[in-house]
Amino acid sequence: MGKSPVVKGMDPVISVREFTKDYKSVRAVRGVSFDVMPGEIYGLIGPDGAGKSSLLKAAAGVLSYNGGQIRVFGGIVCSERAAERIKPRIGFMPQGLGLNLYPELSVEENIDFFARLMLVSRAALAERKERLLAITRLERFRQRRVRHLSGGMRQKLGLACTLIHEPELLILDEPTTGVDPVSRRDFWAILAELLQGGRTALISTSYMDEASRFYRMSMLYEGRIIAGGEPSDVLKTVPGSIVSLRCDDPERAAGRLKAVFRQAAVFGREVRVFAKGASPDEAAARVSGALSGLDVKDIRCSEPELEDVFIAIMQEKGFLQTEGPAMPPVPRGEQAARRAISSGIAIEARNLVRDFGSFRAVDNVSFQVRQGEIFGLLGANGAGKTTVIKMLTGIMPPTSGMGWVAGADMRRAGREIRENIGYMSQFFSLYNDLTVAENIRLYAGIYGLSARRARSRAEWILQMAGLRGYESSLAGRMPVGMRQRLALGCSLVHSPAILFLDEPTSGVDPVGRRHFWDILFTLANREGVAILVTTHYMLEAGHCGRLALMHAGRIIADAPPRDLRLAVQEKAGPVLELEVEDPFRALELIKGAGLTGAALWGRRIHILSRDPELALSRSRRALLPPGLKILGYSVRPPDTEDVFVYHVLAMEGREKAA
Amino acid sequence: MEISRIAAMASKEWLEITRDRLFFSLAFIVPLMLMLIFRFGFSFDVRNIPLAVVDYDGTACSRDYAYRFISSRYFDFKGYAQGERQLGPLLAGGKVGVAIIIPANFQRDLAAGLPARVQALIDGTFPSRAQTIKGFVLAINGAASLQRMAENVSRTRGVSLSMARRQLQPVRLEVRYLFDQSVSDWSLIPRLIMVVLMVSPPLLTAVGIVREKESGAIYNIYSSTVSRGEFLLGKFSPYIAISFVNAMVLWAVAVGPFGAPFRGGLFFFIACSFVFAACTAGIGLVVSLLASTQVSAIVFCLILTFVPVSVYSGLLMPVASLDAAGRIQAHLIPAMYYTDIVIGIFLKGAGVGVLWGRLAALLVYASALMAAGYFLFRKRRAA
Repeated sequence: MGKSPVVKGMDPVISVREFTKDYKSVRAVRGVSFDVMPGEIYGLIGPDGAGKSSLLKAAAGVLSYNGGQIRVFGGIVCSERAAERIKPRIGFMPQGLGLNLYPELSVEENIDFFARLMLVSRAALAERKERLLAITRLERFRQRRVRHLSGGMRQKLGLACTLIHEPELLILDEPTTGVDPVSRRDFWAILAELLQGGRTALISTSYMDEASRFYRMSMLYEGRIIAGGEPSDVLKTVPGSIVSLRCDDPERAAGRLKAVFRQAAVFGREVRVFAKGASPDEAAARVSGALSGLDVKDIRCSEPELEDVFIAIMQEKGFLQTEGPAMPPVPRGEQAARRAISSGIAIEARNLVRDFGSFRAVDNVSFQVRQGEIFGLLGANGAGKTTVIKMLTGIMPPTSGMGWVAGADMRRAGREIRENIGYMSQFFSLYNDLTVAENIRLYAGIYGLSARRARSRAEWILQMAGLRGYESSLAGRMPVGMRQRLALGCSLVHSPAILFLDEPTSGVDPVGRRHFWDILFTLANREGVAILVTTHYMLEAGHCGRLALMHAGRIIADAPPRDLRLAVQEKAGPVLELEVEDPFRALELIKGAGLTGAALWGRRIHILSRDPELALSRSRRALLPPGLKILGYSVRPPDTEDVFVYHVLAMEGREKAA
Repeated sequence: MEISRIAAMASKEWLEITRDRLFFSLAFIVPLMLMLIFRFGFSFDVRNIPLAVVDYDGTACSRDYAYRFISSRYFDFKGYAQGERQLGPLLAGGKVGVAIIIPANFQRDLAAGLPARVQALIDGTFPSRAQTIKGFVLAINGAASLQRMAENVSRTRGVSLSMARRQLQPVRLEVRYLFDQSVSDWSLIPRLIMVVLMVSPPLLTAVGIVREKESGAIYNIYSSTVSRGEFLLGKFSPYIAISFVNAMVLWAVAVGPFGAPFRGGLFFFIACSFVFAACTAGIGLVVSLLASTQVSAIVFCLILTFVPVSVYSGLLMPVASLDAAGRIQAHLIPAMYYTDIVIGIFLKGAGVGVLWGRLAALLVYASALMAAGYFLFRKRRAA
């Protein structure tokens, strides 16, 4: 970035120094310091348990802390009395999508309640309510009870309620988790509009890809800041290039690359390498060199993403000793998938429909999953993903439509299906008061494994999940990532040929997620297990062999992720990213010049255009009269989120036309 | 204190309670249901005890004796059994609560002036009920013996039967029950008002507050400038109001359909019930500030209310008959004072003059709970 958005010489709105927070004997935050300057959007990025919520709550004056100091608006927040003084100037939105709203009250009643709580005058309330309802496009729903609102609408209403007393400082705890990508973009646009006029915001997220929304940020892991600054600067802390390539034997390629570059990962047929300190050309050359003799295609170079940098920093700081669990070979006679399903189709859904009363949760869903394929269902909370899984596994009868799992009809062959599948829910379904070994034994017993087989499977699971040495640890006391791998192991105890994973990686840090995906790829590639996985992480969805986008109960697109991206790029063009002075004004000018799809990303502007050159020159012309300069620009292919948003908008467009 | 803020919280709470079907029924339907269930499930009255008779004698005299039991309104005659063997399973299965066994030679022994022996088998699994049954059996047997003796005396001395009876029973005892002439369920009904008011408001209040803790909506309060006092008044007053309304509904049911007498002053009853509602809702408030999930709040409330109600409230047995430790416990919970108050007002027509001490105890209790709520509620918390 050319110019710092933060005006030097001003006092910070929030100043955190050596902040420490303990919960009983557990230290959740260990000496964190950062400043939030007036007018900026400051981000805290990190997985569950990183300490984000503790920091936000302490800054909002609703949580006491054990060490260090937090100053808000210059005053030290160290007692309930001190906290009361800053509260009129703060708007705090706690974690959980619209959970702080009152479900039995209507949209308008919720806003009114918050206003009366904050002593907003009647006249001011009337004026602000109209404006907020207009910006959030909730006017039509003002009489609707919150319980009948979608996730995205709740999130916007939550924001409106938090802003009704016009606070100078907004503190939002994971406002975008579990929201569909369209609503997510909407949210950031609305937030940008509402923050105009010098308001400051401190926002947490567990999505790495949201970093570019922030002016500055801190990356948190286990209660420590592991990197901080402007997003572009954080990216620069570990310079280098990403090389991705396709290869018929990706594991062998990755093996060789890991010896040279340390950070190499397999995603299906694709290998992704982080060549630290290397320019793109250098990196490509070194990768080709390391892989001489292997059949390598499509070598592409790109800039590292925040997730790559996160992992690199973790390795540097010594948080990661191992390269992740190693997958042991399965003893002969136990390889489930070798009991091959003759047709090669492991799962098939045909016109599945499920109604809950008058609400259609799943609407005419059809897809096929082949043996050995990782099939992703990507969608927001409430899109219908879990309902699809419940119908296919025979837990819930469909309203109409058919489904086959391992060749058996899901409506009749419940038991037969359950013997062939493994199922892992988003809540991990582990017994927290049992040890690792006891959990595995319990699941072996549930599936009726012989004592000998149970022992050999337990060995395999411990090895696969990297849990050796933790056999007698209580499941409830282990970190999320380990619990997740144990849950996966338990769902694999009977060597199923088909695996259903319902949001298996929610809240797990990028390193844990990558380990988890390593296991999934090995299972699919080597054992031929068919995997149906649901997620709301865009980045993760890109790793699937085939991806179905789900929105409001329907599948709106279904293809390999690469094909999805290429198709959108062909129809709508790549993304043009502009770095400009005064982005708020610039955005209005650019939109005024006819580029209506332009959107604000942090301090940058994104434009989806078939002709980026033309879009660039039109933007230049629009910014010329007031003398705003374009400081830099880049063109990149659309990512999974762009694809999702494109399809949802296209669907809504078709529906409006019809 | 901002009245508008208190009003905002109270009216929001009221809207939520009335719109949420589950919560609405917990607030208004459940108390009434409890009253009905307890009324018809609970009975101090021992009547219609299933009775069997074994008559080995089979004479006019033994049938005459057995008929005294069979015709009694306290017993429900199930039939003659052939022998004691048959009785075992009947008693064990609860089909028979008492059996009378008349041995052979009953008539002959009586005629010979020898003492005749009769056996009564009573199901002793409910001690108080067994005691009552024993009392009935003794009374009937006593009457039969007296009759027999009177007949003898009248025959041998040549006096009239009524004269003989008077001579045989020189002291006659007249018993009159005060406050509840028929020793019926009257005394139960006011106690049930106490039970329902003790159990339902804490549950309602605790769930109402804890669910906001669970959802995170409580952070709207923590992060606002609402003061502790405003929060307690605004959040808590609807629950006191609801509990008070319930007390009035229960009163109407008690004196209406249930036919309980009401001899005291209504205004005094209203005042006491309001304070008691504040007490029990206050228990819910304190529980809600200590518990973090709805489940734990419910369990806490049930333990804190059901146990004291069943043992230390004077519901089933008078507090005076508890041992010293039990009496101390009874004095520590508000149920006992309110039991005295409702029994006093409903049945004895007592007023402030007699019951002021109990009302004062409830007032102290309610204030202590409010104070505890005030000090336990923290807007800036450690976790």
